[in-house]
Amino acid sequence: MAGFGVLLRKEWREHIRNFKILWIPLVFIILGVLEPITNHFLPEIMKSVGNMPEGMDFPWPEFRGEDIFASLLGQYQFIGVLIIVLAFMGTISGERKNGTATLLYVRPMSFPAYFLSKWLVVNALVLGSACLGFMAAWYYIEILFNSVDAGSVFAFIATYSLWLIFVVTVVLALSAWLPTGGAAGVAIMITLVYQIIDALIGAYWMVSPWKLATYATYWFQVDTSMSNLWMSASVTGVVIILLMLFGIFMSKHKAAKTTV
Amino acid sequence: MTPLLQVDQLTKRYGEYTATDTVSFELEEHTSTALIGPNGAGKTTTLSMLAGLVSPTGGTIQFQGDAKQDIRSIIGFLPQYPKFFPWLSALEFTEMAARLSGVATKRATVEAKKTLEFVGLGDAMNKKTGTFSGGMKQRLGLAQAIVHKPKLLLLDEPVSALDPVGRRQVMDLLKELQQQTTILYSTHILNDAEEMTDQLLFLRQGKLVEHGSLDEVRSRYAEPRIVIEFERLEDLQRFTAIAAWQMIEKGLTVSIDVRTEGTEMLEVLSMLSAGAFTVRKVERQTASLEEIFMKVAVV
Repeated sequence: MAGFGVLLRKEWREHIRNFKILWIPLVFIILGVLEPITNHFLPEIMKSVGNMPEGMDFPWPEFRGEDIFASLLGQYQFIGVLIIVLAFMGTISGERKNGTATLLYVRPMSFPAYFLSKWLVVNALVLGSACLGFMAAWYYIEILFNSVDAGSVFAFIATYSLWLIFVVTVVLALSAWLPTGGAAGVAIMITLVYQIIDALIGAYWMVSPWKLATYATYWFQVDTSMSNLWMSASVTGVVIILLMLFGIFMSKHKAAKTTV
Repeated sequence: MTPLLQVDQLTKRYGEYTATDTVSFELEEHTSTALIGPNGAGKTTTLSMLAGLVSPTGGTIQFQGDAKQDIRSIIGFLPQYPKFFPWLSALEFTEMAARLSGVATKRATVEAKKTLEFVGLGDAMNKKTGTFSGGMKQRLGLAQAIVHKPKLLLLDEPVSALDPVGRRQVMDLLKELQQQTTILYSTHILNDAEEMTDQLLFLRQGKLVEHGSLDEVRSRYAEPRIVIEFERLEDLQRFTAIAAWQMIEKGLTVSIDVRTEGTEMLEVLSMLSAGAFTVRKVERQTASLEEIFMKVAVV
């Protein structure tokens, strides 16, 4: 792992100085704040701007705080994941393309250290941002809705974090393998498009990383079997490790693609 | 003493295209070698293979000493267009480069500062590299290549992109470095090669077509000749009528091929004074490196 500390510092500095440390948390916090607020005030907004006939009573469903967490996940799953893909698709391929990687590759650094330093920093940034978003949502849920069991919230965030680590690992492994455009395309297929497929025909299987988001909400339900969640989490863990090995291998294997 | 680097039958193919074809040479310690050839001759590919960026299709590269050692720890590499992370300062980048090459943290800072002073970036070391001009980038590139005191310095066209002033300065830096390390650099600016070189390697279409010291190569292609420039055309005609050598006339000048180091010069001079010719210039010329280049490297 030669050079791990130095590379870690370099990655950290990069994300601070290109302001990713600022705007990625902001996106998640905005999503987290908007979800409870819009859901809370939607009936009144509709009442004041909508052209409802006099006397018509629209039966708004009574949301519980737990439901708001679940619907926030819907935002994260689309906008959040898309932002992760777009923000980090060039993490390795971009460095190669613009030639900055060359001056790293000619030094005696290890490629596991190279890949892992990026993996760690991107994960820290993404998980930190998602957590801040969840915390912001939680704050407004406590104010505007009901109090949610803290243990369930933490278990929910932990489960969803595993899915986010999966997304980050997919993006970085693809970035090590393909040019930036290709990496983005395939990453969107895997993380976004496949979500829809898994939702449409996924009734036939129960164990899948793509179901982690759904399973995460099981923590808010009582008397739900968690065995599918544990199985899916284990499978996701194994897939993440395999993807990391693939990413490390590709970092080294495709090193010659760097612009000299 | 074994040479620092032995390259044997080095070959790189990209599909059908052969970038370098069975190139073999040796580098002695504390010498500088120029890799000369037209664009696309395989200079960059050769340097990339030595730097460990590209793996060869065939052949071997052997460094002196421990074969298992990561060769990247004893080389310094400067690409033709070095690219830096624009959000790092010159000092931060050089420090990182030193530490990645195994220099301890505290010493890395000291060495980075010293090296940046050496290349003339002392005042700009805390500026972001994104704001650097081409010449500053080239110096920073040199700084990152030498900060860890490598045994072998690989430079790809180190001065080609610079203006005359920058070129002069970088050449002077390289001459200073020549005392401390072994240098292999590619160039197509032949003046530079003439100025600082112990060995020349000519590449053409991936093949090593000529090599040797500057003097060796020169004498092989020397074609010494005596060139006489006359004042008047009548003189020239009078001279060619009585001289018995093989001569080429061009305007007011006559060029006499001299195959061997002989007495031709004396004979020419005595003929000229005996016949009272009015001459502007008498000169003994040998082929310039540029003429050799055109002969060797261009088909």
